[in-house]
Amino acid sequence: MPWLAVAVLSMLTLPAAALAADPPNEESEKAVLSIPFEKYTLDNGLEVILSVDRKLPVVAVNVWYHVGAFHEQPGRTGFAHLFEHMMFQGSKNVEDDVHISLLQQIGATDVNGTTNFDRTNYFQTVPAHHLETALWLESDRMGFLLDALTPEKLDNQREVVKNERRQRTDAAPYGLASEKAWQALFPLPHPYYGSVIGSMEDLDAATMEDVFQFFEKWYAPSNATLAIVGDIDVEETKKLVERYFGSLPSRPKPESPRVEDVALNEEVVIRMEEPVATLPLVLMYWHSPRIFTEGDATADIVASALGTGKASRLYQRLIYEKKLAQSVSAYQYSLGAQSAFGIEVVARPGKSTDEIVAEVDAVLAELRENGVTDEEIRRARNRFETRRLLGLQRVGGFGGKADMLQSYNHFLGDPGKLAWDLQRYELVTTEETREFARTILAPDRRVVLHAIPPASRAGGAE
Amino acid sequence: MRRAHALLIAASLLAACATPQKTREVEVKEDRGVEEQWRRNRPQPGEPVPLRVPKFSRTELPNGLTVIVSERHDLPIVAVRVALRTGSAADPEGKAGLARLTYQLLLEGAGKLDAAALDQAFADLGTSASADATHDGGFVAVDVMTERLDAAMELLADIVLHPRFDPASFQHRKEQTLSTLAYQVGNPSFLGMEAMAATLYGESHPYGRTVSGTPETVSSLTLEDARAFWKRAAVPSQAAVVFAGDITMDRAVELATRYFGQWKGQAVAQPEPPTPAVEPRRRIVVVPKPGLQQTLILVGRPALRAGDPDEYPLELANAVFGGLFGSRLNMNLREAKGYTYGARSSVDARRGVGPLIAYSQVRADVTGPALVEVFAELQGLRERPITEEELEGAREGRIRSMPGWFETVGALASAGSRLFWLDLPLDHYDQVLRGLETATPAQVRQVVEAYLDPELMQVVLVGDPEIIRAQVEPLGLGELVFRQPPAIASIP
Repeated sequence: MPWLAVAVLSMLTLPAAALAADPPNEESEKAVLSIPFEKYTLDNGLEVILSVDRKLPVVAVNVWYHVGAFHEQPGRTGFAHLFEHMMFQGSKNVEDDVHISLLQQIGATDVNGTTNFDRTNYFQTVPAHHLETALWLESDRMGFLLDALTPEKLDNQREVVKNERRQRTDAAPYGLASEKAWQALFPLPHPYYGSVIGSMEDLDAATMEDVFQFFEKWYAPSNATLAIVGDIDVEETKKLVERYFGSLPSRPKPESPRVEDVALNEEVVIRMEEPVATLPLVLMYWHSPRIFTEGDATADIVASALGTGKASRLYQRLIYEKKLAQSVSAYQYSLGAQSAFGIEVVARPGKSTDEIVAEVDAVLAELRENGVTDEEIRRARNRFETRRLLGLQRVGGFGGKADMLQSYNHFLGDPGKLAWDLQRYELVTTEETREFARTILAPDRRVVLHAIPPASRAGGAE
Repeated sequence: MRRAHALLIAASLLAACATPQKTREVEVKEDRGVEEQWRRNRPQPGEPVPLRVPKFSRTELPNGLTVIVSERHDLPIVAVRVALRTGSAADPEGKAGLARLTYQLLLEGAGKLDAAALDQAFADLGTSASADATHDGGFVAVDVMTERLDAAMELLADIVLHPRFDPASFQHRKEQTLSTLAYQVGNPSFLGMEAMAATLYGESHPYGRTVSGTPETVSSLTLEDARAFWKRAAVPSQAAVVFAGDITMDRAVELATRYFGQWKGQAVAQPEPPTPAVEPRRRIVVVPKPGLQQTLILVGRPALRAGDPDEYPLELANAVFGGLFGSRLNMNLREAKGYTYGARSSVDARRGVGPLIAYSQVRADVTGPALVEVFAELQGLRERPITEEELEGAREGRIRSMPGWFETVGALASAGSRLFWLDLPLDHYDQVLRGLETATPAQVRQVVEAYLDPELMQVVLVGDPEIIRAQVEPLGLGELVFRQPPAIASIP
């Protein structure tokens, strides 16, 4: 929460992809690219995932609550994230304002909480002999948060979150532009509309009653998963987990709302004045396949061919050949209800965003014609594979082993899906990428936003 | 009241439970939950685990090239850094940004490969290379699977020994750098750091400008500048190949010898950045950004060199003041006042005297009150001296967190590069440990006096000039001086 809370439009949320090896070494590398684990469920419904890693004398304690901005009520955008902040404000047996200080004083690293559209997570990596302290803190707020809640705390964190919104959105380069484009892609009443951070009005409207109800409904042990990864003794750890979490009152697992997919039937073009940045921006969004469903891995490959590295198609055309852009990026933002495929291009000083759109369209037209080459697919896979291997170095933190296990468990019901996940990328073909570009990246089913700074700020153009 | 409310809802939800058996069990447990007195106390830690600090070994090849290795074999990956001791502090006056541009130019083409071919070659190995400058050095970096290390070394050697530096790629890189600067001058953090560097060191000091330079200085750079810079920087006696991960020293020496053994060049001595004057604050520097909803506050001073005996006491004092989430500064500005999303301070020990800077982005309409609180916390270190509990918490936290900071081979390799740039000993992290363990309360009090004196703190504000004038001028902290953001250079 604290420092890096909202993972809006960030690829950190879920490691975009990864892959198995080149043919010669398939066997050995696949053995490496797996995470041993044990999963079980307490009587009160809390899921537990344990995984041993003795590389360093540290342990990641990581809790996912299966609730995110997707589960907010109308008129309460930003509430799941505001609630996350409240989880750091003390509970029945943990004094106000000491949660993070205490962890930092015992040598914890990667202490944070994050909220995204689909889930909320809380994590810390502690020296191995302090595992029990982390379990004490996590269990106390899971069981007894409301005992210590006060209106003053809510008011204070409301202000902190509004500052966070200013820092990330209102006073950040392209912050408002991203929000506007996102809202056009997921219009109300779609629960993704609020971009996780929510609106100032809705944050102001949040009440103590909202906090009570949200906790009671969504923060039930049966709606949470605890992962412990690192230098642990499995049997000892099971006893500790039972002691701290086993007696927390059970509540039924809440049902997630069902939301119909949204679709655009025409191109939505938005032109706005950019209030902070100095250079023009073009932002394109399409709806794309849900995380881990058919087409999601194809989207990752297409994004890589379009925007990863100096040899990528957008980089070559817009930066080297046409000299129109300062930067390009393309990404599949994989989500639980419906994903988004994005292209972002920051213009060079004085360059026209219309010209940039035309060039991006030329690149996309070629993609719809011929798809991504075998060579591009292979290179993207190679990079995904290394990236995933690098991710296995950390037991906790953003995208470390605990998050990987949690993510597979959250979306697929099984923490052990790493091999399956990697396998997906081996199956992507040129034809599928071509089909993806034709059907998903259709020119008449997208949002295109032009954010243009006033001439006075953008400097002399030539 | 609150408790009753919560239980009521819990009870009604329980009623909906599926099996009576389960409900009964749960009710019993809930009673226990209420009475679990043992939850009141924070658990005792277990037997402390032995600390593991990063270990490095070093050797030198006949041509003067240093090889540094930190081994870790749990995964088949290696992080490699070619680290050079010449950084942006060596930018000639008026040419700020030269080091960064030159290092980035390395990836625009080397040997037979142009920029795209180089990128593809790294992609074939499942990775990407990066290159950049810091104040005290520069690097080319790659993280790669062990079995592809040899091929990656071949590419790295091409980049370092045979960069193209041709007119077209120089022109391209320069235009891209100018575009990036045009982007950065829209960013409050960049504007603030640029103004702070100039304020603390003066614009002609090697640390008085940012690594990026400004649109004006970068506009003046030529291919000849880059070639001359590289000729001075790229000599084996001023370079190290740093390996961290799944590798041994024997293998590292073999690879370094094969790919860099023929590297030649005469070293030019690197002057140490001069010691800056630390003077009482007279002025407050304001970078106007009309209409900005937040004001960026920067408060700082030149502090110390890496290896200074004050380094560890100051690190502990700073941890209490502003180094952590739970520090006084953040707990006041964020948790008590709600002015900001966060406030921090950090000490950047460099080869020369690096800065200590506290920073926070605050709601524009509380710019004045927030600045007052930053100074109140500085003053507070004297009026409410650091307690034993605060000091021991900072000490234990800093020491015990050390293994956690080095979970990745990339972090180990970057630490190895820093040892080389700053000429720190191989057992540096053991020394860090000892320094943190042995810093006395008296030493911590002394560094508070010496480095956290409110009178010696310079101030830079980025935000709406009218709000700042109205709220800050009456505080009497100094005369407001407006510093316009750098103009964007036109790109041909």
